[in-house]
Amino acid sequence: MTIRLETRELARCLLIYESELDDSSEPGASPTLHVYEKLRRTLCIFAGAAGFYSIASRALALVRSEDPRLSAARITEDGTLEGLDLVQHQTDFDKGVGGDPAGEAGVALIARLLELLQIFLGEALTANLLRVTWPGTALDECDSEKGRKA
Amino acid sequence: MSTQDKVQINKLPTGVPGLDEIVGGGLPEFSFNIIAGAPGSGKTTLAHQFVFANATPERPALYFTVLGESAIKMLRYQQQYTFFDPAKLSSSIRFINLSQVVLEKDLGAVLDQITKEVEKANPAVVVVDSFRTMVRKPQSDMDLQSFIQRLALFLASWQATTFLIGEYAEDELRDNPIFTVADGLFWLRQTAERNSIVRKLQIVKLRGQDSVPGLHTFRITSAGVQAFSRTFGLTARKRNPPGNRRLSFGIAELDKMLDGGVREGDSVLIAGSSGTGKSVLATQFIAEGVQRGEPGIVAVFEERPEAYAERAAKLGLDLETPQKDGKLKILYLRPLDLSVDETMQSILDAVQKIGAKRLVIDSLAGFEMALSPGFRADFRESLYRMIFALTGIGVTILSTVEVDESFTEFPFSTYSISFLCDDILRLRYVSIDGQLRKIMVVIKMRGGNHAKDIREYEITSKGVVILGKRLTNYQALISGIPNHSDPSDATEEPSLDTGIEHKT
Repeated sequence: MTIRLETRELARCLLIYESELDDSSEPGASPTLHVYEKLRRTLCIFAGAAGFYSIASRALALVRSEDPRLSAARITEDGTLEGLDLVQHQTDFDKGVGGDPAGEAGVALIARLLELLQIFLGEALTANLLRVTWPGTALDECDSEKGRKA
Repeated sequence: MSTQDKVQINKLPTGVPGLDEIVGGGLPEFSFNIIAGAPGSGKTTLAHQFVFANATPERPALYFTVLGESAIKMLRYQQQYTFFDPAKLSSSIRFINLSQVVLEKDLGAVLDQITKEVEKANPAVVVVDSFRTMVRKPQSDMDLQSFIQRLALFLASWQATTFLIGEYAEDELRDNPIFTVADGLFWLRQTAERNSIVRKLQIVKLRGQDSVPGLHTFRITSAGVQAFSRTFGLTARKRNPPGNRRLSFGIAELDKMLDGGVREGDSVLIAGSSGTGKSVLATQFIAEGVQRGEPGIVAVFEERPEAYAERAAKLGLDLETPQKDGKLKILYLRPLDLSVDETMQSILDAVQKIGAKRLVIDSLAGFEMALSPGFRADFRESLYRMIFALTGIGVTILSTVEVDESFTEFPFSTYSISFLCDDILRLRYVSIDGQLRKIMVVIKMRGGNHAKDIREYEITSKGVVILGKRLTNYQALISGIPNHSDPSDATEEPSLDTGIEHKT
């Protein structure tokens, strides 16, 4: 079950947006974690911590089966993602957006999460949730980015 | 206190077709309501329809989910309904999950959480789904009572119209503080009747509103919940007093027998055994109306509309053109789990759509068969409601009914519904001179003069044709086996002057 290219691109775009937003430039700061946390906060309000935990666990399990480097990551009961800093990237090329230690695996995790939401809620509702999570211009930028690629 | 001094309670649309009529014009604004019923009875769907009908970006809806169906799954299914507008979800409707606070804390904390969210969002509508799971944890009666009262008070003060959804059994109606506090109590039921499922809705209470009492059927379709009022949505409509206009059958001799035709707004019953021409007469009645600019509806249960129109064409009656022109609608109502109210809704929709003046129900037996078993038991009462409602808006109804031919009795109907009909026309076979011939007689015509002649008729390629002369030389014609009283077979023209029974 491969992730659709557009979902992967959306995930990557959100990560780029978050990395550009994060001016702390703190070493090891993970855009993946920022995106994940924002999604967690929105979805916990909407579906409850248990609801978010179940869907995030599924996303992580799917990504782990594709990328064993994520085996160190885990999701706690309240839905928090832990152990992302233990994920080792193999090459500089693999190093993710904004030097994200999670590398491409981080993109895959967010993309899986988005894809599960799209499967369960449909694209329209997922887009609505994302707009609530990123009320600014992030999604518009991602859309125009997608348009350019198309 | 004069009427203008009294507070005006705004009525909000329920978003459920038919329900506004049942609740007395809409749901009272700022009311605190319970939707109760067993799992699968449509509680959540009903609440969603209300939410989607009333939430706006300025006054959004807060939908609190607790333990039970997860919000993700709920939305996955609810978005299949046509009323579900995804665009409203980001701007006007917010889903908030309270599971954690319910599981980990007490009712005070739950109230605090709700209070915080309500103060933040200023919602017009608040739903708690399911409230039952929220208060399931053991707590004292006093705690529960206090929680409910504080919640109701707070939400009303914040000008929110509230729905608490819960799986309650009917025997819980007593001794439960929530039902005492609630302004409105909607009870949804779902019962199996033989092989049919029947859904019914009851407004157990609704403060300050003149809701329609009783059990109303409802159906859940891709459009969501649709309710069918027992008054057929006609309580608000002005009744049309019966006029003096006469509606023609297009059969001059029959019109004469009816003192000029059927009185507008009457309910006419044509009773007879199989093959006596009930449907032919009904078709002629509707076709004549269409020709005179009176749109008509034919509700058929035993044959398809195409077959009905084809049969009419063989009698030289064109039912195709008026259907295309929107002057005639042939409704085919066949599902076996219909309620009368649903059938009525279909008929009413059609009546309103084309401005129908005449309605044919062909036949009552087919109508009864189309109903779910439970509704068949109430068929007579249902017919009463239906006839009263339709004739009240000026529609003239002609129903056909098959009666068993008997040579010892002369029944008008197997349903004992003759009292519901203003006019009864009886058709029957009669054995005369070695032939099985047909006779008709007007049994009853409320408020009008009608001929008491027994007339022979034939069904020809032009429909029912009443033969020229009244049969005068036979005794006991209505028995079906008459005696010839005069071998000369003298007949005379029917005379309305001498042959009219005056009734008031």
